[in-house]
Amino acid sequence: MAILATAYINWSALWKIVLVSLIAGAGVVIVFGFLLLGVKIANNAKSGGREWAGYVLSGICGFFCLAVVAAGIYAILNKPVSKKPAPKKTAAALIAPSYKSTT
Amino acid sequence: MGSTLILVLVVIAGFSFDFTNGFHDTANAMATSIATGALKPKVAVILSAVLNFAGAFISISVAATIAKGIVSPKVLVGGDGLELVLAALIGAMTWNLITWYFTIPSSSSHALIGGVIGATIVATASSDVNWHNLVQTVIVPAILSPFICAGVAALGTYMAYRLIRRLGQKEARTGYRYGQICSASLVSLAHGTNDAQKTMGVISLALIAHGDISAVNFSVPLWVKLGCALSIALGTASGGWRIINTMGNRITNVESPQGFAAESSSAAVILASSYYGYPLSTTQVVSGGVLGAGLGKKVDSVHWNVIGQMLSAWVLTMPGAGVLGGLAWAIADLFGAHANAGAIVICLLAAAGAFGLWTLAQRNKITPEDLDRTNVSVVEEAELAGVPPAVAAA
Repeated sequence: MAILATAYINWSALWKIVLVSLIAGAGVVIVFGFLLLGVKIANNAKSGGREWAGYVLSGICGFFCLAVVAAGIYAILNKPVSKKPAPKKTAAALIAPSYKSTT
Repeated sequence: MGSTLILVLVVIAGFSFDFTNGFHDTANAMATSIATGALKPKVAVILSAVLNFAGAFISISVAATIAKGIVSPKVLVGGDGLELVLAALIGAMTWNLITWYFTIPSSSSHALIGGVIGATIVATASSDVNWHNLVQTVIVPAILSPFICAGVAALGTYMAYRLIRRLGQKEARTGYRYGQICSASLVSLAHGTNDAQKTMGVISLALIAHGDISAVNFSVPLWVKLGCALSIALGTASGGWRIINTMGNRITNVESPQGFAAESSSAAVILASSYYGYPLSTTQVVSGGVLGAGLGKKVDSVHWNVIGQMLSAWVLTMPGAGVLGGLAWAIADLFGAHANAGAIVICLLAAAGAFGLWTLAQRNKITPEDLDRTNVSVVEEAELAGVPPAVAAA
């Protein structure tokens, strides 16, 4: 069964996709929550130190979220197929050099 | 070399397919934002249309064409290549309209691949289809991706609701509504990048087969880029309210933290897979994300009958579009040497079918006003979710 699956599944790519998705998908949701928590702490702070701590927490979390968005845009701009040197263009090669993410 | 008339029909069918792709798949990006009231329905689809239009021009490459390694190249560039592509587009478009009528989200690209395979089998032989590659590059990802996204979204949702207890309902839900706009925009951009370019590839292929552009030093003509970008943007802007309703309201009652988790997870899975060269269906990923967001809050909040309908549609998409594509080819082939007449007939039949489905859909029309939730405050959203009024207002 495992051998059969290996013939059809690229495990190397799969675990990377799962890992990146966990970090960027679930991670962003959690970090965004902490960003909101930081804002709340800053707004409700009775001392300057606590207010700063809230803003620092929000800033770090906001940076992470922005970094993930930037990584997403980088992924859009740098699809694997775009990196490959252009092969000799023939009509046959144009049929479908790649079946990309679909809808 | 095929006739100019058939080439024109292929171009029109290509743009029409892109249009159906746009309104069929707006739901992927914007359904949860509309369902939670983060955006007004019309604002959401216009934002999505603009991003789809922009996405169509990003990272242009002939890569985003169809069915790599699935159908023998000689079939599509052969003497009957134009007719075959036309039949495939008609099959895919008709399947899109059927699933739209039944309010079921399904993959437009799987429909296109199904259409190509169906037309190829009827036109030549099943040996021209590489079944191993079909399983490896289309079917396996189609099975795995919704599960991955559902797992990621479920984890994100679960953690978001744990954080909400510390944050307070009002602030958290307001914050997540803003977050949703960003994550949904990213999904829209990715959708435009992938799907508009796919049709560009199909039309460019037809132009090469017809001898209008050279296969050497190939580049997609500007009018093709513009036409595809405009078609998908106009389709998106027209709003597929029927499928938005299914995705946003019928799978589970989406709240703002769930919507953010679903869209973020979908964007992450789609873009990571695209980067690592693993093909996916955006529709299936987002559906998995919405399901996971439901599971992450409460298992019995998911409407399993709707999930069952969607799964059935997913399983049937490629065979269904394949049958329609094959049927379109067979009808065109009845005219033998009069290929132009055959092509016109299948286009007229497809147009009549589309009109019929549109007319039927008017009987139980869903309007943007039906879906508008921007008048539901975050406090009301929390109360509707069963949070006690005093806690919801906190």
